[in-house]
Amino acid sequence: MLEKTGVATEQDLQKAIPSKERLAKGPVAIIECFQRIPCNPCYTSCKKGAIKEFEDINDTPEINVEICNGCAVCVSNCPGLSIVVVDETYSEQEALVKIPYEFLPLPEEGSFVTGLDREGKAVCRAKVVKVLNTKAMDRTPIVSLAVPKDLSMTVRFMKLNDIYSDNTFVCRCEELTMGELRELIRKGFNTIDEIKRISRAGMGPCQGRTCRQLIMQELAAATGAKMSEMPISTFRPPVKPIKLGTIAGGADHE
Amino acid sequence: MITTELAIIGGGPAGLSAAISAASLGAKVILIDRSENLGGQLIKQTHMFFGSQKQYASIRGVDIAGILMKDLEKYQDSIEIMLDATVISVYEDGVIAVEQNEKYIKIKPQSIIVATGASEKFLTFPNNDLPGIYGAGAVQTLMNVHGVAPGKNVVMVGAGNIGLIVSYQLMQAGINVKAILDASPKIGGYLVHASKIRRMGIPILTSHTVKYAHGNNKLEKVTLCRLDEKWQQVPGSEFDIETDVLCISVGLSPLTELLWQQGCEMKYVPELGGHVPVRNDNLETSIKGIYVAGDVAGVEEASSAMVEGRLAGLCAAKALGYNSPDLEDKKNDCLEQLNSLRSGHVGEKIRSGLSKVTV
Repeated sequence: MLEKTGVATEQDLQKAIPSKERLAKGPVAIIECFQRIPCNPCYTSCKKGAIKEFEDINDTPEINVEICNGCAVCVSNCPGLSIVVVDETYSEQEALVKIPYEFLPLPEEGSFVTGLDREGKAVCRAKVVKVLNTKAMDRTPIVSLAVPKDLSMTVRFMKLNDIYSDNTFVCRCEELTMGELRELIRKGFNTIDEIKRISRAGMGPCQGRTCRQLIMQELAAATGAKMSEMPISTFRPPVKPIKLGTIAGGADHE
Repeated sequence: MITTELAIIGGGPAGLSAAISAASLGAKVILIDRSENLGGQLIKQTHMFFGSQKQYASIRGVDIAGILMKDLEKYQDSIEIMLDATVISVYEDGVIAVEQNEKYIKIKPQSIIVATGASEKFLTFPNNDLPGIYGAGAVQTLMNVHGVAPGKNVVMVGAGNIGLIVSYQLMQAGINVKAILDASPKIGGYLVHASKIRRMGIPILTSHTVKYAHGNNKLEKVTLCRLDEKWQQVPGSEFDIETDVLCISVGLSPLTELLWQQGCEMKYVPELGGHVPVRNDNLETSIKGIYVAGDVAGVEEASSAMVEGRLAGLCAAKALGYNSPDLEDKKNDCLEQLNSLRSGHVGEKIRSGLSKVTV
């Protein structure tokens, strides 16, 4: 619940996220502002008239996504930093998420950062496509991040250190690094099972609990495959490493 | 003894706005502030303000202070500014005693606007006197006025707007905020501020409180615990967080001493932060010629403090005999702005509080 956690629920977000058809047409502002508070700069800053005039200053914003062209002027004018612009037409596999970022140092264009979700959890590697910091933006720069398309409604913040850099471990048990994983994917190992068989990732003491999700995310980022449609590896017993002697000893009742 | 028409005590958002509006009608004003610069808490606010354009929405607090200061300069012939000057008492005969540079100065104004603001509330828990335990205002002063980092890690107590905003500013300054806790089961501040904090990975622990602080000579660790739905500590729910700073942001109390000295009728209204003066629509207290504006009249946001200041300034100047053809329009505009700022869900508490003290 938003009031308890500060994180918007799926239900809250339903009101803010435009239709697939609209997203397919190009950039659009996503306003994640769900509480009635006295504030209206989104409306007053929108040159296109896409945000409906507030009858009461406490109204929550209503955006006409057909008029909005994703210019992002509202993004740096929102005192609550609750607006992002999402462009799902950026490339075949990636969407652009434009976030307000009031921290120094600013990321460098072309560098990689870590994309964070609404709870600050790392969800992907993101490429910094553009950093806009004009005088009119008054110290609320906008960073454009290229993220895997199915994370366009997940990534809402970033941190500078690229936790998905090549020398980061993906599988700590079998010591597979991100760089090695990327190399395998480049060579054509494109399912989690193939990665597992060639690298042993997921076959160590934790049995893939650490790396399974991370490998799938990287596969999604690199190949454009959807996490939801990705074949998962086979789960054979035992689910945790045990001593052979334990099995050899037989079960009690036998 | 110095004489003047209007003495304004406090040069924060309310006092500054009051000085500008009273002087704009022609009143002679002395504006007194205890710090070395005007602007009050505005100068520490690096975030964009809420509200509408009339209350400088989207502009950062520190820049709003700059705008008000520029406006003030237009009336420099009518406004005398006393800085580093603390009003230590207001006597029954209306004489204000001021301490400035270790000198005792007496001022006799015809009217007074008290815009002294509010002070921070504190919490009781064992070892709450350890160095490293600060009020949120102190942390802001250290960080945003003096450029001093209060420490390396911070646990913030209070998820109201101040707790949320100061946590964000700490993160901007490169100081790690480990958690924000609040005794209430719900986040008190604006949820957009809360979401902003959560995106950075900072947990907000509602229904939690501080049980102990630990450390030798300085804070090293805090013990937190969960509260049940009756706000009672849940036994066995204790856990520790290592931290060198605990920042307390559990609300503000109006700074009303000078109003008590004057004998203004006061009422205890928890929704407004504590004892506040009874006042009319012109923000005049039960004593003629004594006006209030801003947090001293009831703890609210800086945006309403500015509008109240403007209103009190207009009303005080009018009572002194100054007028302008659009005075009533200006007054009504202030009243409308206040109504709209307070009309939302978050303003409910303020409305209920004000209904108890407005006559």
